[in-house]
Amino acid sequence: MIVYLLKRLAVLLASVAAAGVAVFAFMAVLPGDPAEIALGVNATPEAVAELRARFGTDRPPAAQFLDWFGGLAHGDFGTSYVTSSPIGPQIAERLGVTTVLVLGGMVVALIVAVPAGTFAAVHHRDPLGAAISAVSQVGIAIPAFLAGILLVFVFAVKAQALPSGGYVPIADDPAEWLRSLLLPWLSLGLVQGAVLTRYVRSAVLDVMREDYLRTARAKGRGRMGALWRHGLRNASIPVVTVLGLQLATLLIGAVVVERVFVIPGLGDLLLNGVAGRDLLLVQGVVMVLVAAVLLINFVVDVCYAVLDPRLRGAR
Amino acid sequence: MLTVEGLSVRAEDLELVREVSFGIGPGERVGLIGESGSGKSLTALALMGLLPDGVTASGTARLGDRDLVGVPERRLKDLRGRTVSMVFQEPMTALNPLMRVGAQVAEVMTLHGVAKGRARERAAELLGRVRLPDPERIARSYPHQLSGGQRQRVMLAIALANEPDLLICDEPTTALDVTVQKQMLELIAEVAPALLFITHDLAVVASLCERVLVMYGGRVVESGPLREVFKHPRHRYTEGLLAASRLPPRGTRLATIPGAVPAAGRFPGGCVFRDRCAHATETCETAPDLTGPEEPTGPEEPTGPAELTGPEPRGDGHAFACWHPRG
Repeated sequence: MIVYLLKRLAVLLASVAAAGVAVFAFMAVLPGDPAEIALGVNATPEAVAELRARFGTDRPPAAQFLDWFGGLAHGDFGTSYVTSSPIGPQIAERLGVTTVLVLGGMVVALIVAVPAGTFAAVHHRDPLGAAISAVSQVGIAIPAFLAGILLVFVFAVKAQALPSGGYVPIADDPAEWLRSLLLPWLSLGLVQGAVLTRYVRSAVLDVMREDYLRTARAKGRGRMGALWRHGLRNASIPVVTVLGLQLATLLIGAVVVERVFVIPGLGDLLLNGVAGRDLLLVQGVVMVLVAAVLLINFVVDVCYAVLDPRLRGAR
Repeated sequence: MLTVEGLSVRAEDLELVREVSFGIGPGERVGLIGESGSGKSLTALALMGLLPDGVTASGTARLGDRDLVGVPERRLKDLRGRTVSMVFQEPMTALNPLMRVGAQVAEVMTLHGVAKGRARERAAELLGRVRLPDPERIARSYPHQLSGGQRQRVMLAIALANEPDLLICDEPTTALDVTVQKQMLELIAEVAPALLFITHDLAVVASLCERVLVMYGGRVVESGPLREVFKHPRHRYTEGLLAASRLPPRGTRLATIPGAVPAAGRFPGGCVFRDRCAHATETCETAPDLTGPEEPTGPEEPTGPAELTGPEPRGDGHAFACWHPRG
């Protein structure tokens, strides 16, 4: 178990480093010099050179990279060339909002998918089970932003029950915070829940055909008792895989949903950075998103080891 | 103790097992033999109430004073694992891969009212009883850390945990090495209460059982004491089965039964074996009854001409369903 975790951790660190190189390289080859952007088209070469020296962009790329990547380790993302404010605190604040948004969406997805998928599997021969499969199929076809707009239309415009957008920090007013996040959570979660329902259904169906479930019934457990005691944990292994992939998708999907609901998250920050040609800010946000996806994969690997003893001993 | 009468198993409009009747006395060891697809496993699963979805059983099966067929799951649950237990064919997949072996053995006891701590102690005892070395360590292992033979012993420990009246084994040694197979059979012979042992391996039956039922096409075609049936088979199918299992002298061809077992629902009407039988005549288009004392006693006479029903049963329980029996 310890060896397995250490190996996974080493893989995580190595991939974060590799991702850092990749992100830096992509940003470096993009056309557009920060100093030229800052000073505009009428700047004198001397002024540009001076600003370059101040930004440190006149140094060799390797030195710039080490400076930037080394700073990341203690939360220093550099200072924006455009706004001259440190990037780290901005990212930290926005990351909190996005994390809450994404995890809340995932919780909604799980609350929908686990019971619905299990029910659809147990009743796969009945019309109701087939109906759940059909509904989840429709759900898959709806993009999250469209679901968001529909939800706004129903709950904010028609029923006037929830705000159509905006974000209230939890420290200001917990109740309003919850109300402001409810629709974003639902629009992210319902769509992902529909996708997840199908995976839960097929995982439970597979497990229901396993010999050990028959063994459990031969011991004297009922159908549902056998499924509960012996099936769910086994079925959760493929579901965890999908969950990891979905979290990554949600993180990216949050960029769009934050726009729809005017939520100041990472996606919002990223789009602002792109619009303002704030290269270092974009670089930082992209790095954080990539690192988050890698971290999710690491957590998924840890979950495997916790769930499945066969993985603990080996590799 | 176990009385089965007119047990049939159907999947939609296909009759997979037809009118099977037999009994097992306390402590008696009965073998159920036949080729793959003859309905042996379905018969066993019907007795356990574990038929796959969409497959249903009818007829009666009583264990002591409890009905096994046509009873709601709620009532059967109570019997399974306590009064009647089953060991399945495939040991590699029959245990939950995510649960320690000891917990899986203890589970069958806690399900039937044994206290948790006591069940855990008993689990280790049982693992020792099925001759697993270092039972304490095995109890803490996960199934993937054990060999196929060891896992099948664990299954046997689970089956024996509540001291059932009847043990059903469905080809428990087919997936094992020959040497492991032999140890396993000796163990089953030693620990089994009344036993219904399903196999296609005649040598296994010969070493273990006192009585045999021969199944073909979802019917019992011959039944009787082991020695009697194996020495003087009467049904032509049993004859073929026995001939095929004997090693012929060097240089001669292996004896086989011509043709192959038809798919379910493709068996001929009348005698189910007649399309593969060298002795079949027009008479065989009518289904022969299983004649002998095993036949549920009823007023009806055998339907065929008297000279074709074979000699009178000898009173030793040897019965067969054949118009042209051997000998």
